[in-house]
Amino acid sequence: MRIAYYPGCVAQESGKELDLATRWVCRTLGIDLVEFPNFSCCGSGFVDEANEVLNVAINARNLAIAERSSLDVLTICSTCQGMLTLANRRLKDPTVKARVDGALKPLGIDYRGTVTVKHLLRVLTEDIGLPAIRAKVRRPLNGLKVGAFYGCHLLRPADEMLWDSGEEPHSFEDLLAVLGATPVYYRGRVMCCGFPIQFVKSETAAAISGRQILEAKSHGAHAMATPCPLCHISLDAYQNQAEKAVRQPLDMPVFHLPQVVGLALGATPEELGLARHLVPVDDALAKIRPAVA
Amino acid sequence: MPEPTVAVPFEVYRYDPGRDAKPRYQRYTLDLTPHTPVLTALLRIRAEVDPTLTLRYSCRSAICGSCSMQINSKSRLACETHVGPELERHGRIVVEPMRNQAVLRDLVVDQTPFWRHYSEVEPYLKLDPAHPMPEGKPTSMTPAQVDRFLETPRCIACAACYSACPAVEADAGFPGPMALAKLYRFAVDPRDTAHQDRLLRIQPNGLWLCLRCHLCTDACPKNVRPSERIRDLKEMAIAVQGATEQGSRHAVGFKESIRRAGVLNEMQLTRRTYGLFGLLGQLRQGFRIMRKKPEVIRRPHPIEGVEEVEKIYEALDTGPEARR
Amino acid sequence: MLHHEVVVVGAGLAGQRAALSAVQAGRDVAIVSKLHPLRSHSGAAQGGINAAVGANDSVDAHIYDTVKGSDYLGDQDAIEFFCNEAGPTVVEMEHFGTIFTRAADGSLAQRPFGGAGFPRTIYAADRTGLALLQALWERLGTERFTLYQEWDLTNLLVREGRVHGIIAFDRKRGEFEEIAAKAVVIATGPAGRIYGRTTNAHSCTGDGVAAAYDAGALLKDMEFVQFHPTGLLETGILITEGARGEGGILKNASGERFMARYAPTVLELASRDVVSRAIVTEVLEGRGFTGPYGGYVHLELMHLGKEKVESRLQEICDYCRHFAGIDPVTEPIPVYPAQHYMMGGVGTNIRGETNVAGLYAAGEAACVSIHGANRLGGNSLLETLVFGKQAGLAAAAYAKRAAAPEVHPSDLESATAPVRTWWSRTDGEDPSTLRTEMQHTMERYVGIYRNEQDLLEGLRRIRALQERFSRVRVVDQSRVFNLNLTDALETGHMLELAEAIVMGAYARTESRGAHTRTDYPKRDDARWMKHTLAQKTATGPTLSYAPVAYTRWEPKERVY
Repeated sequence: MRIAYYPGCVAQESGKELDLATRWVCRTLGIDLVEFPNFSCCGSGFVDEANEVLNVAINARNLAIAERSSLDVLTICSTCQGMLTLANRRLKDPTVKARVDGALKPLGIDYRGTVTVKHLLRVLTEDIGLPAIRAKVRRPLNGLKVGAFYGCHLLRPADEMLWDSGEEPHSFEDLLAVLGATPVYYRGRVMCCGFPIQFVKSETAAAISGRQILEAKSHGAHAMATPCPLCHISLDAYQNQAEKAVRQPLDMPVFHLPQVVGLALGATPEELGLARHLVPVDDALAKIRPAVA
Repeated sequence: MPEPTVAVPFEVYRYDPGRDAKPRYQRYTLDLTPHTPVLTALLRIRAEVDPTLTLRYSCRSAICGSCSMQINSKSRLACETHVGPELERHGRIVVEPMRNQAVLRDLVVDQTPFWRHYSEVEPYLKLDPAHPMPEGKPTSMTPAQVDRFLETPRCIACAACYSACPAVEADAGFPGPMALAKLYRFAVDPRDTAHQDRLLRIQPNGLWLCLRCHLCTDACPKNVRPSERIRDLKEMAIAVQGATEQGSRHAVGFKESIRRAGVLNEMQLTRRTYGLFGLLGQLRQGFRIMRKKPEVIRRPHPIEGVEEVEKIYEALDTGPEARR
Repeated sequence: MLHHEVVVVGAGLAGQRAALSAVQAGRDVAIVSKLHPLRSHSGAAQGGINAAVGANDSVDAHIYDTVKGSDYLGDQDAIEFFCNEAGPTVVEMEHFGTIFTRAADGSLAQRPFGGAGFPRTIYAADRTGLALLQALWERLGTERFTLYQEWDLTNLLVREGRVHGIIAFDRKRGEFEEIAAKAVVIATGPAGRIYGRTTNAHSCTGDGVAAAYDAGALLKDMEFVQFHPTGLLETGILITEGARGEGGILKNASGERFMARYAPTVLELASRDVVSRAIVTEVLEGRGFTGPYGGYVHLELMHLGKEKVESRLQEICDYCRHFAGIDPVTEPIPVYPAQHYMMGGVGTNIRGETNVAGLYAAGEAACVSIHGANRLGGNSLLETLVFGKQAGLAAAAYAKRAAAPEVHPSDLESATAPVRTWWSRTDGEDPSTLRTEMQHTMERYVGIYRNEQDLLEGLRRIRALQERFSRVRVVDQSRVFNLNLTDALETGHMLELAEAIVMGAYARTESRGAHTRTDYPKRDDARWMKHTLAQKTATGPTLSYAPVAYTRWEPKERVY
């Protein structure tokens, strides 16, 4: 399949390992990523807080770029997924559409609302399909217990995201099972990582992410895996603060979604950028039988 | 012909703090039609099996807000949750008290902090003696002005949102979604003369702690959509006061970062949010991350077509805090 | 022991409005409620509040409609006062912050309601009660008073014909408490849970009315029980009259719009007793639908169009979808009459005064009488506010000049001794069982169509239940949040009121308003143009009668 690749800001900078792993997985599965150097940031939810219509307009421009090439959009970040979908929804309101068109039409941009925005998790589970993925597994992740962490904007508001079951999603766990891993269910898997208030009140953000990590741990997870690089920052890069908040060591490695897929499909840790993580993943890799070199 | 029934297994949280050492889950099984509400089932348990099971309930028609509880881990109204779909999805019905509120007994929780947050947003019309209401007549309000309340008048104070909120769980200073949605209701009421003051006061008092995770909007049985109203409050607050709180500085700083380059400049944003002093406090964490991820301090290239972004901002970013 | 000057029992619209008046008059006020105030049954009222503010309407027209609606049993002086207060009452609530639905010109929207000659019902979508309750609570929150939340009233303390306070059970602490007071306002709403199929909340068990009755207050017109024509079939959940006001129509199993035969001029907007009887008759005579929950008819909204139904009747849509599995935009709603309102209650005058000094009542718990033998839609929300205010003012004025209450340390002990024995029994009657049997009895023998034989049987059964109640047992030994105790208290209260209802119905050998005797099908003004008064005695209620007050309207035959 051919699809417009919308990596988002973090995957292009400090979250580079996510981009690396995504490209590896897509190459292996025959997903042709079409790149557009004129995609802008989705606003990450922060621009939406400051100016709702501006945020819709910025993302309408992004969607129009893909629409011009008759492509749907692939996201690899729950927040980008949420923001682009939000733009599609808000544009159904005639008042919003009029204001957005007022800013875009003078630039020759005319977004007609035909683009579907799909997160990699959805493309893998629906477009590629679990049987096709299972057929390509070279290194089943047997022995590895993984707690999925979806990220709020992939799922909610459920009546707007309209994919998987907003209440009790299972696509990620189903995928993990096909990869040979043991999915770990815990309440926090659909809750928040705290990232949006990391820069407002870090102790509270840390308490929130700490709660999720601790819960995954107490349910037996060796690692967590997330489809959102912002959650990844919160859970991995800021795990040291989470440990302070919950007053105990956590030692919980956190994978990006395509890294855990890539591992099962036969990629090396180097090809997936695993050394870039703040929390070392070695102990988790050691759980996989046979061991990863 | 009576409808077919199925055996429905319940596991109900039981805890009487004055008498029990710790909580336990008690099992009951009832034969019920699939569209029986969980509340009806719980009341049957009380009437036929166990009169000690304790819960709040009254109207059974989703208007009084009494019967909110966790059913299969979701905070919602028991009178509106039917056993059939729950049984299909989970094979059983686990009933627990709401979260974020201390248990008084079984499914009854202490809502004192919830009510206190509500009263702290001063949920009543604030009038200006210089502009009194019309004597002996209702104030005039157009349907468009009524529409601005959106769904906030439908709130029944059931606290399902408060129960579902991770920020409430983590921080006692967060007013919670219901109180903030109430604040929105007053901030758009044309009869209230304290809109600006309300927006000024809520900012250091928790507005920016909202995670915009939308768990509240999903939990709300009345479609009040508190997380979306909180977003509205944030935009309104910036319009009134500019970027004076850490939260608003971050949002506005992010917005400016995109304007300049089309993508995020993490370093610049961090400086804008924290200020120079605050930045010093972030240095250690910054170094730690930089060692593994040096890109974090890189200044990104502007995207192709960044001038389009600039023009969009010119057209739509016209608030008082917009920077040129 | 606690002390306050005015204690208001019940925190719905009437109780809150009474408290507001009393606080504004400078008294030390306490509100005692079995629920958090925002959970009160006032919040379930859907359709609207009447006020003759429209340009082509008049207060006299509102008065006439109410008098006629009451089947001429309403006291016309009280009704005149009531309708004159309507406009200012609605304005006050709007100024308190109520969010009403508006007309295009910014004025308050009004819609037609049953029994009204003019669209005068002011509304807030189809959640008018909730809108008023919130606004009043929020306004009241700016005043100083004490709230005792989740306290169950057990006794009124009355000594030598005057009130001295109340006793209630604090659910949270699990203790009986005495509150000494100079004046008490009873605003505890209805007792619809006496019936099996009711629109009422579970909390509607008439506790304040029963306590007042026990303490010597006269109950008035208890036999007049209103059945709302359109309760959802299985649950009794109310589908507001506003649905008919917006154009909803009723059809029987042959697809016939049968109201044309019962109320040729106004059809579905005839007054509630007329429509309720019509539906019951259709079913009894075999023209209704049948199913596992009994006979029923259809309320149709489909022809109104999706947009109108979803914007004007949003709550109705939710009720149908959530509680009946029906989408009213595309399907007919199965409905059958359900007990809805009690015209009867603690007898008061226009100022909310009862025959016991220091005891007041307002709202559905009281009977002034405004509604006489049948209440018009939109008049109940109005009643709570108009007479809540009056009762609060009167209670405050009384409290200001009354002597301090006399309370003895032994009051608490002796008043609560019977209740405390319920806990210590090792054997006895289950309150739930007694309650269910009472509900079946009332549905079967004291429903919409009554006759002597049924009423006698009903009375016999209620008395048998009362006897069994003397042996009631509370199994739950924990004191905290003991709903088993609440059940027992409530059941005891309801059995008393049930007896008063049946006695009044049995004695009244005529049909008037909501009281329909198949053995006395005609209204008999010569013998029965009077209010029934019930006084508690050791052997049950003793009935006496009081005249109806007239001002300008001669009783006529009531045709719609």
